[in-house]
Amino acid sequence: MEYMKPDEIVELFKKRLNKSTIIDSRIETKTAGLTKSSYNVIWLKINPEDLKNAVKLLSTIHFPHLAIISGNDMGEEIELIYHFSIYYGARFKEISIDLSIHLPKKDLRIPTITDLIPGAQVTEREMKEMMGITVEGLPELPNLFLPKDFAKDTHPFRRDEKGIYPLSKNGNYVGNNIIRKEEVKKIE
Amino acid sequence: MTSISLFEILVKIIGAIVIAFLGIVIGLFYKGIDRKLAARMQARVGPPIRQPFLDFFKLMIKENIVPENAVPWIFNGAPIMTLVSSITILLYLPVGNIPPILSGYGDIVLIIYLLTLPAIGMVVGGFASGSPYANIGAQREMVMMMSYELPLVTAVIALGWKLSQVYPQLNVFSLVAINANPIWGLVGPLGFIGAILLFITLAAVTPGELSKIPFDAPEAETELAGGILVEYSGRNLALFGLTDAVKTIVMTSLTVALFFPYGISHLLAFNGAFALIVDTLFFLVKIFLVMFFEVTFIRVAVARLKIDQVSFAYWIPVSIIGLLGLMLIVLDTIIV
Amino acid sequence: MSKETYSIPIGPVHPSLKEPVTFNFEIYGEHIENVNLAPGDNHRGIEFMGMQRNLIQIIYLAERICGICSASHPFAFCRAVENAAGIEIPERAQYIRVIIAELERIHSHILWAGVAAHELGFDSVLYLSWRAREEVLDLLEYLTGNRINYGIFMVGGVRRDISEEQIPRIRKTLGYYKDIYSKIEDIFLNDPTIALRTKNVGVLTKEDALNFCAVGPTARASGVKKDIRQDQPYSAYADLEVKAITPDVLTGVVNGDVYDRIIVRLLELVQSIQIIEQCLENMPAGEIIAEKKLVKLLNQLKKAKGEGIGRHEAPRGECIHYVKLNESEFPEVWKARAPTYNNLMSWVPMLLGQQIADIPIVIASIDPCIACMDRVTILNKDNGQKKVLTKKDLHELSVQKTRRITP
Repeated sequence: MEYMKPDEIVELFKKRLNKSTIIDSRIETKTAGLTKSSYNVIWLKINPEDLKNAVKLLSTIHFPHLAIISGNDMGEEIELIYHFSIYYGARFKEISIDLSIHLPKKDLRIPTITDLIPGAQVTEREMKEMMGITVEGLPELPNLFLPKDFAKDTHPFRRDEKGIYPLSKNGNYVGNNIIRKEEVKKIE
Repeated sequence: MTSISLFEILVKIIGAIVIAFLGIVIGLFYKGIDRKLAARMQARVGPPIRQPFLDFFKLMIKENIVPENAVPWIFNGAPIMTLVSSITILLYLPVGNIPPILSGYGDIVLIIYLLTLPAIGMVVGGFASGSPYANIGAQREMVMMMSYELPLVTAVIALGWKLSQVYPQLNVFSLVAINANPIWGLVGPLGFIGAILLFITLAAVTPGELSKIPFDAPEAETELAGGILVEYSGRNLALFGLTDAVKTIVMTSLTVALFFPYGISHLLAFNGAFALIVDTLFFLVKIFLVMFFEVTFIRVAVARLKIDQVSFAYWIPVSIIGLLGLMLIVLDTIIV
Repeated sequence: MSKETYSIPIGPVHPSLKEPVTFNFEIYGEHIENVNLAPGDNHRGIEFMGMQRNLIQIIYLAERICGICSASHPFAFCRAVENAAGIEIPERAQYIRVIIAELERIHSHILWAGVAAHELGFDSVLYLSWRAREEVLDLLEYLTGNRINYGIFMVGGVRRDISEEQIPRIRKTLGYYKDIYSKIEDIFLNDPTIALRTKNVGVLTKEDALNFCAVGPTARASGVKKDIRQDQPYSAYADLEVKAITPDVLTGVVNGDVYDRIIVRLLELVQSIQIIEQCLENMPAGEIIAEKKLVKLLNQLKKAKGEGIGRHEAPRGECIHYVKLNESEFPEVWKARAPTYNNLMSWVPMLLGQQIADIPIVIASIDPCIACMDRVTILNKDNGQKKVLTKKDLHELSVQKTRRITP
């Protein structure tokens, strides 16, 4: 089996996808142990429209292992990072690839990748429930992480009015539709 | 049939009550010993020996819950039926040299029929609980009943047939006759091997009859959360506990009566009431040993089997061993 | 003939489950026709809580994601923070981390062996193997101060050194496991009843393992040679020859059944012993932490900006943490993923077509560890109003309930 170098992978992405798709790319090299052996992590920021193509392209290199999708509410937009890894199964060869997409709050839709990687279902459903992202192509299923009767328009990981009220010291993410501050004071 | 006087009836009733009481007490006591020994073999301390008694008394004062979708009269009747039927079997079994209370009113064929009754009672109770777990448990219990009947009957028939060849005038299926003429004395070398095979067959049937590991699929704690017994609580569960204890005594006594009916009083030259006591104690030791090897030891040494594997084990290997034993005994008789 | 199926629920509380998770099975006779999986009963909102805490507090929170993986989560988390903030950790600390992680693997795998035996109805093996597990727990207590939740990991290194006097005690424990390993292997691989219950049960094909993103021994038993200690060596693993263990090492074939998962875990026990021995031999001298003063470290982390992932091969599979720092006291994002999260989906192909009796062992065979998030917000069904229950409310509710059931 032939292994591509990290920079070659980034080049391949730039060549095969639209030029404008790759917004940002970064290769990290980390070392470990007395021998200072190194491994690589690739961070790619891409356009949300090309997510599926990027995953398809990744599959042509090596069947990718999807660890998880992590989400981050950045105010105006939501960042989703797909943590992939390829070339597992051989010593020192594995490369972590993190595909990051930024979705504007107005248009929170991503295509499902469960047709390419069926195992992505769990994590896509988590993002759907926790972040309020519409996953197109994913069947309508009951809540997996939240209680079954949880409010449909509340998403715990959001930091805007759709999030939940955190009873914590840094009250930046107060959602005012849940409990008024006076009520909280009354309880406390 | 001879006419029975009122006095005899009274004696039999009192005897039955005494035997039932002793059967329950000894059964619970042996259950305690069984749990303690199993615990020691598993490197645990284990519960105190009186634990089954404590369990029983605690359960008796607990609330008896009948599930909403159960059939109450069947649900409550099943534990009583199982307990009564297992105590009835006890009345047909000889204790040491004391003949059975009900000797003369039935024989070992009746016992085989009676043995299915506790199982049927549990199946009925399981289906009446209206819980899916209990339903599955009841289905499995039925499958198991159908599976272990053949080897059980094979073992008993072989003994009876051999006895009928040697003493044609006897009522060969009465336990008194079997008890008085141990199988080992009647057979030659071939038949001896056959008798050992029959003993193995009966030993394999015992854990199945008692729903103990490896044949505890109907109750399977980790799969069905107690299976048949899942919905039972309070008094009903206590009665099932008693049934289990009595059934253990029944099955081990049956093994002892069929294969080891020896006493030691004549060896030690005792007679009278003292001989009776010594033989009874020796009988208790014998059923303890049988219980230890057939129940306690097996259940700590193996894993639980699936129901299809249980069924297969009884229909094929155990049945073959039983039939082989029967054949060897027949051959032994023909050749000699 | 029409198939009349009926459904049985397993969970959220069931003797075969050690943690709350719900399954709904469609059963035909004794065979499973359909599986519905509904986890989420154990969501504690750990990630949410973590984002309200500083990075050093999160280490202890991460430790408590799961009692058994209490070295894996902090290991992965510390690596994520170190990658994000660009902290280099001393070599000696890398070796100590690996020793603790491998000791944890030994205890986790023996724990699993006991649980698996219990699910099979083989309680004797449960008690004997858990007794064998005590030895490594005692050693961990001796080294770290705790039997579980070791509290030894710190951003930039470890908090306790392994001194020269402690090494003979470690070697003694390793010797103990070498002695009893043959017994454990004999029980699990040669016992006829265990073989009857585990061979060709809960088969996960290699294709399914890849498709459903399985990790750890679950994936390796299906023939996917995936082990981060081999693929992307970190810490001291980079100096050691670690090979992903697949069942064909022992039997020559890969079936992907429960039996194969037992083989993989047993062989990993031996592997862990070897790794610890190599670590003890090659352990360099030096510092054990990059920054000793916690206040200084916190200040350094407060100024850091960046993102990083930390991966660790936990006993159950790959454990991955993602941390994003944004020049603030609290991390902007903390995402923790336990291995069971990925193995969840592989339950479905394993369970379909099996018997009811196989359910406990198949569920146990991936060594599930159900841990996650929040359930405090409830929706009042009567008036549709959302409300957060406080401790006081819960107390009030429980008093009401008690009054109701006791006249």
